[in-house]
Amino acid sequence: MIPVAAMRLLAAAGLAAILGWACASDTPRDTTRLTVGMRFEYPTPNELIVQQTLGHKAITSQLLLPLMNEESDFREGPPSWKPALAETWEFSEDRLVLTVRLRAEAVWSDGHPVTASDVRFTWQAQTDPDVAWLYAYAKEAITDVEVVDERTVRFHFSRASPTQLADVAPEAVLPRHAWAQRPFAEWRSDPGWFFERLTESGPFRLENRTPGRELVLGRNPDYFEADLPRLERVVLRTAADSAALTTQLLAGELDVVTAIGAADAQRIEGRSGLRLHAYSSRQYTFVSWNTGQPRFEDAATRRALALAVDRQAIVDTVWRGYARVGSSPILSDVWARDPELEPWPHDPEAARTILAAAGWRDLDGDGVLERNGEPFRFELATFAGAAARWDAMQMIQADLRAVGIDAQLRRFDQNALLPRLLGNDFDAAVSGFAIDTSLDLRPTFHSDSIDGGHNYAAYANPEVDALIESVATRLDPLAGLEDLHRLQRILHEDQPMLVLWEPLTLAAFNEELESVEPNALSPLANLQEWAWR
Amino acid sequence: MIRFVLRRLLAAAVLFLIVLTLAFAVVALAPGEPLAPADPRIPPEQAERLRALYGLDQPLPVQYLHWLGAVVLHWDWGQSYRTGQPVAELLFDALPPTLLLAGAALLAQYLLGIGLGLIAAFRPNSRLDLSVRVASLIVYALPTFWVGLMAVLVLAVGLGVAPAGGMTSAAGFELGPLAAALDVLAHLWLPALVLGLSMAGDIARYTRSSLIEFQATEAGRAARARGLSETRILLVHGLAHAAPRLLQLASVSAPLLLSGAVVAEAVFAWPGLGTATLLAIQSRDIPVVLAATAYGAALVIVASLVADLLLTRLDPRIRVE
Repeated sequence: MIPVAAMRLLAAAGLAAILGWACASDTPRDTTRLTVGMRFEYPTPNELIVQQTLGHKAITSQLLLPLMNEESDFREGPPSWKPALAETWEFSEDRLVLTVRLRAEAVWSDGHPVTASDVRFTWQAQTDPDVAWLYAYAKEAITDVEVVDERTVRFHFSRASPTQLADVAPEAVLPRHAWAQRPFAEWRSDPGWFFERLTESGPFRLENRTPGRELVLGRNPDYFEADLPRLERVVLRTAADSAALTTQLLAGELDVVTAIGAADAQRIEGRSGLRLHAYSSRQYTFVSWNTGQPRFEDAATRRALALAVDRQAIVDTVWRGYARVGSSPILSDVWARDPELEPWPHDPEAARTILAAAGWRDLDGDGVLERNGEPFRFELATFAGAAARWDAMQMIQADLRAVGIDAQLRRFDQNALLPRLLGNDFDAAVSGFAIDTSLDLRPTFHSDSIDGGHNYAAYANPEVDALIESVATRLDPLAGLEDLHRLQRILHEDQPMLVLWEPLTLAAFNEELESVEPNALSPLANLQEWAWR
Repeated sequence: MIRFVLRRLLAAAVLFLIVLTLAFAVVALAPGEPLAPADPRIPPEQAERLRALYGLDQPLPVQYLHWLGAVVLHWDWGQSYRTGQPVAELLFDALPPTLLLAGAALLAQYLLGIGLGLIAAFRPNSRLDLSVRVASLIVYALPTFWVGLMAVLVLAVGLGVAPAGGMTSAAGFELGPLAAALDVLAHLWLPALVLGLSMAGDIARYTRSSLIEFQATEAGRAARARGLSETRILLVHGLAHAAPRLLQLASVSAPLLLSGAVVAEAVFAWPGLGTATLLAIQSRDIPVVLAATAYGAALVIVASLVADLLLTRLDPRIRVE
């Protein structure tokens, strides 16, 4: 009898739970709160001791503000900076000193004012060898951070450069009074400690966290911008798979999903009550041809390869239209992009003609071209894990086969392929870059970056080197525009890399929401302005 | 009996040690460099400092001995390369949801499997029996991820009778203890059912064949001769006869449930060991991969040990010597 009773009890509890859940989902919407699905891990609010991801950065910026925030206006011109904890800033005449004035009304959520000492402490932490922040190199031009008074801080630079504000501004200012209690040498041993001593300066406070599941952000009443944030509470939910988040959105359990795969987009398209928002991801995917190998050494052959690949078909099929065909490492919606640059069209006939002129012939009739007795056969490698990229590579393989080129596809673990790319020990490889707005092409195309840098193609062109150096030395980025255009045209002709596509990032949200404007800088950009209609 | 248990425990410990060593060797011999910085602007000395912090600047045998010593002596699995968290803490958070899901799936698989097996055994070779046998074969053949996706699409998105994912509702921390338990239950039943379904077919076929086999034994005939009802013969005596084999199946199910849990957790966004392992593999977070492998192996070893011990109690034909 006991097992039967227990089973009945279990069944009743299950039924009650299901009914309870079903009833709960019918309750009217609470317009003070929002549930967002995004992929993130948040083991600590201290961004200096974790691998930085867009998700981590997006969440931290809701809790801990930087001095300034980069605006997403990179389409119109060099990006501008919006004050956050800084109220004003000014460079000295020689641009070797930057004086920043902090907001008087900026306070930590425990009541302490945000001071210049916090700014200096942050710089000390960023550059301390014990903290071992991977991006400490970004601060190498800063020689000192001087506390002038409680609200004024001076950054001293060893040299002037067009990226000085970017060197200073984007990382969160850390609460010295709360975090200096732990020596830098112990920061990495217990990332969770920073939750215990977290005091916020941003629009939200961290109300609750359930590791691996969700973070609950509550409105910070001490936030200095009037009437913001508009929501009382934002629940951030995570999952290992973005398709699972899309499903939860469709089931009405989430109000926003910040990154939806192109394959899942069609599940959202046309759904009443949901809006799909596509925006630039500031990424591009490309094929690097190893120019150190005889088969890829001449630009004519590389141009023929570009003509042979139907990139529009890849965008239409693999990306279902949610990408743009690429033609330059400077993305199509960035101000410095050469507007006259058009992608090489898909023209297999022209490719065959160029290859023949370059000496490629199929003399043995096996369907594969040869030159100097060597067949045009090579390994096309990529990193494991990117399904869309692998699908595209199979289309590339078929396109190349159609003009007599045999590409053999292989996938490698990230840590196995990267050293080969950095050491130019490969034939051809498909990979991707996420880029900032500094337009610094030195790591990818300067001949200095062949050995151990990201110039995977081992491309060396003295004119390109000179143009890259010229652009880097101009304090006003706009003054380098002509050089940037010339640079793009040379790369377009030389084709050391074939830019395949620029993917778009997709976000979906309930259409009753307003002011939801995720962008390439943050999936939670302007979260404090999001609200229900 | 005590000597048997001690002997089995010792064998389990040796097996666990072998699994640890093999896992470390496989991960260490895999091509590529852990913590290799993807950003070329990061100076080599900065990357080297980080490697030293994680002990990766030591020779491989020294790394192995340090790692094994820390695990065996302090249950210290190191720190995640990805998040910096202590791995033991990370998996401590992930293990209970997986145990809950696997336990519920085990329950679902036995309830469904035994129920279907009984139905089939009542009328052997009838249409009903044939239907159960065919259905159990189909269910056994269907991949968990496909069944999971279909279940979510139909039951959660289409009909709205179950949550589409997660272990709790949003901001579930606000609920009281009873409401929170019911909330978890509401999120649990569908993934547990999907995960349990794959092995339920096997249980059904074993139950059916054991019960039919029992009816032909002397004990079965004697029970019928004593005038016991068919229901009582199958439910009480038949199931007692089938219990040892069904229990053996539980130890076989354990690794299948754990591997299935990785898939089910991904489909249902269930925040368990499978999800943690998947994330760790994707980002080559070696300490987490090693620990998750070891946890999985430990669970399988313990399940097998418990099943063996229970078998010695349930099956009178088995004697411990």
